[in-house]
Amino acid sequence: MVEWDLFFFIALSVVEVVASILVIASKKLVHSAFWLAITLITMGAIYILLRSEFIAVVQILVYAGAVPVLFVFGIMLTRRKMMEEPNE
Amino acid sequence: MIDLYGISYGIGKWFMGIIAAILDFFGQWIQPFQGLADWLMRWETLNVLAITIQVVIVFLFVSIINLFIIMWIERKMYARLHTRRGIMLPLPFRKVQKGTGFLQNLADGMKLIQKENITPKNADKWMYHIAPAIIATTSILVFVAIPLSETFVVANLEGGLIFVFAILAIAPFAVLVGGWASNNKFTLIGGMRGAAQMLSYEIPLILAAVGVILLAGSLNLVDIVIAQQQTIWFGIPLILGLLVFLVAIVAEVERLPFDIPEAEAELVEGWATEYGGMRFGLIFVAKWVRTYAGAALITILFLGGWSGPILPGEIWFIIKSYIVFIIIVWTTWSLPRTRMDQVLEIGWKRLLPAALISIAIAAALKWVGWF
Repeated sequence: MVEWDLFFFIALSVVEVVASILVIASKKLVHSAFWLAITLITMGAIYILLRSEFIAVVQILVYAGAVPVLFVFGIMLTRRKMMEEPNE
Repeated sequence: MIDLYGISYGIGKWFMGIIAAILDFFGQWIQPFQGLADWLMRWETLNVLAITIQVVIVFLFVSIINLFIIMWIERKMYARLHTRRGIMLPLPFRKVQKGTGFLQNLADGMKLIQKENITPKNADKWMYHIAPAIIATTSILVFVAIPLSETFVVANLEGGLIFVFAILAIAPFAVLVGGWASNNKFTLIGGMRGAAQMLSYEIPLILAAVGVILLAGSLNLVDIVIAQQQTIWFGIPLILGLLVFLVAIVAEVERLPFDIPEAEAELVEGWATEYGGMRFGLIFVAKWVRTYAGAALITILFLGGWSGPILPGEIWFIIKSYIVFIIIVWTTWSLPRTRMDQVLEIGWKRLLPAALISIAIAAALKWVGWF
């Protein structure tokens, strides 16, 4: 018998770890913000696996809904050259 | 009342029964097929299948049947407001130039699918392509939690109302990213305006719903409607909350009094300027689906959901939500566009205090003991 909880947990955590690595590895800052949103949404999904719906929904509402948007606003208000070459 | 789960389970069991019978027949010669047939008829397998069929039914309802009806209502309605006749495409085999034009939207959709998929040269390729997908999926996902009646619901969640708000809150990010990735100054400005407006109007939207949560004492959408059936429609004591919610929904879907993110005169088509073909179609369809989601939420929170005499609950729900949708269309096509400072002023100086007053009214009613 397959343990579906374990299967989904591993799948979600692979997505989450890869996305969180891409947050710091991406060249463009907007891409980093996008991967941050993916990381936060998968964290919400893991909360659902742990049978706590409410905290999952609040996680998506507050973190995935608002925080990346504020980051992207902040990035877009900086200069275009800085946005594309963060390491220079 | 239609029992959605029961119907889906029945369909799944019937379908799996046919497959299992065929497998059983071949199982005479190939032994493992019999085990597979047994597994297919087990309750766990049928349960998963029933849930999948439920989702498919709701998806078909929302994005095919319902979508064509609301598009037709909107196009006919605003044509009449312009004193035109609107879409009149007759059925293909009729020569008479007189018809309701119900199939016009199907023809438009086919045209959009056939168009070439253009990517701007300097666009950020995969983010440009992923933004419409995020908006369309989150818009349709909302309907998983919206009940058409006590039994016609896919996921009867404990915090269904917050789930709906959470899913609606993902779209601003996709709007912003889509506007940025197109690499065009109009889309960038449109995306920033759109995301800022959607974020800031979410505050009065959620605060207006808090009054309802206080009166009903639950976050579950089914429980909220049952509480209204026992007392009175919450739209009557909380008329202020209803108006705030209506205005905030219109601003949330960027419809005309608040369509500063895609002001045609300044910003071509807002953040959707560079999209073409079916991607543009997806964005437009998602806007309609979100508007209908807003109308359905107003129906559930303030207008008593599926409660009504004689007719079955689902029919009442659909009638009420279409009436709310028609009111939204009517305001959309009869009011002029607000300026940027007026958008801010309405949001922060009018709607936010009004929503707080509606919460105070709800708390007072609860304190007096009427609910």
